[in-house]
Amino acid sequence: MQELREYSDIAEIGEIARRYFAMNAFDGVLTIIGVLMGNYMAQVRQPAIVISTGLSTCIAMGISGLWGAYLTESAERKRDLDNLETHTLTDLSQTKIGRASRAAVVIVALIDGLAPFLSALVVLVPFFFTAFLPEIAVSYYLSLGMALAALFGLGAFLGRVSKGNLVVSGLKMITAGMVSILLSYLLKKV
Amino acid sequence: MGKLRRLVLDVLKPYEPTIVELAQLLSDLEGVEAVNISIYEIDRRVENAKITIEGSDISFQIVEKVIEENGGAIHSIDEVVAGKIIIDDAATLQDPYPG
Repeated sequence: MQELREYSDIAEIGEIARRYFAMNAFDGVLTIIGVLMGNYMAQVRQPAIVISTGLSTCIAMGISGLWGAYLTESAERKRDLDNLETHTLTDLSQTKIGRASRAAVVIVALIDGLAPFLSALVVLVPFFFTAFLPEIAVSYYLSLGMALAALFGLGAFLGRVSKGNLVVSGLKMITAGMVSILLSYLLKKV
Repeated sequence: MGKLRRLVLDVLKPYEPTIVELAQLLSDLEGVEAVNISIYEIDRRVENAKITIEGSDISFQIVEKVIEENGGAIHSIDEVVAGKIIIDDAATLQDPYPG
C-alpha cells in the first residue's frame, strides 16, 4: 500500500485515475440509459433480452475502456519516460520511476475498464429482480431511477473533487441523463 | 578500509521522487547520521542537487544504489572524508582570497 502510494505520487496516478473514472462511469451510465430506452421504445418485455443486451454493452464498454486506456496510457507513459531519460541520460526502466510508470498504466487501464462496466451493471440490477416485481415496466423505471441516482452520485463526487457545491454538481449530471432519456423518448414520436 | 564519514555528491535527478523523500531514504541507511540536500539548479524536468551525507560508516555502494533507484545520476563525488574523525580541507597559499 505504501509502495502504491509512492508510485501514485511519482506517476501522478490519482488525478488521471479520477478523471478517467468520472468520464467513463458517466459514459457507462449514459450508454446503458440509451440501451434501456431503446429496449423500452421497442417494447421489449422480456427481462432476459434487456439483461443480455445490457450485459453485452457493459462488457464491450469494459473491454473498450481497458484496451483503449492500456494502449494509449502505455504509449504516453513510454514517451514521457523516454523524454525524462534524455534529460537524465540514464536508463530509468528499472528504477522506482520506471516501475511507477508501469503500475500507472495497469491501474489507469483497470479503472478505465471497470468504471463503465460497473456503473452500467448497477443500472441493470432491477432487471435481475423482474420476477419479484408486478411488471417489467417497474424494472425500467427503477433502472432509470438508479441511472439518475448514479449520475447524481458521480456529480457529487466531482463536486467534492472541485470542492464545489455537491448538489449543484449532481444536478448538472442528472440533467445529462434526463436529456438523454427525453431525446430517446422523442425518437418514438418521430 | 577506513570508514566513510562524509560524502558530498553532485546529483542530477528528476523532480519526483522529491528531495524530501530522497533525504529520508538516505537518512534511514545504516551508518548515516545526517543528510542535507540542496538544489542549486532547476531544469525543465530535472534538478541538480548537492547531497551531503555524514555518518559513522557510510556505504557508498548503498548510497549510490538508493540514488539510482530513485532516478538520480551521480555526476561527481565532490568531497569525501574518511577515518576516525571528520576534517575539512586544509588551507593553503594557493587558495583564492575569500570574497
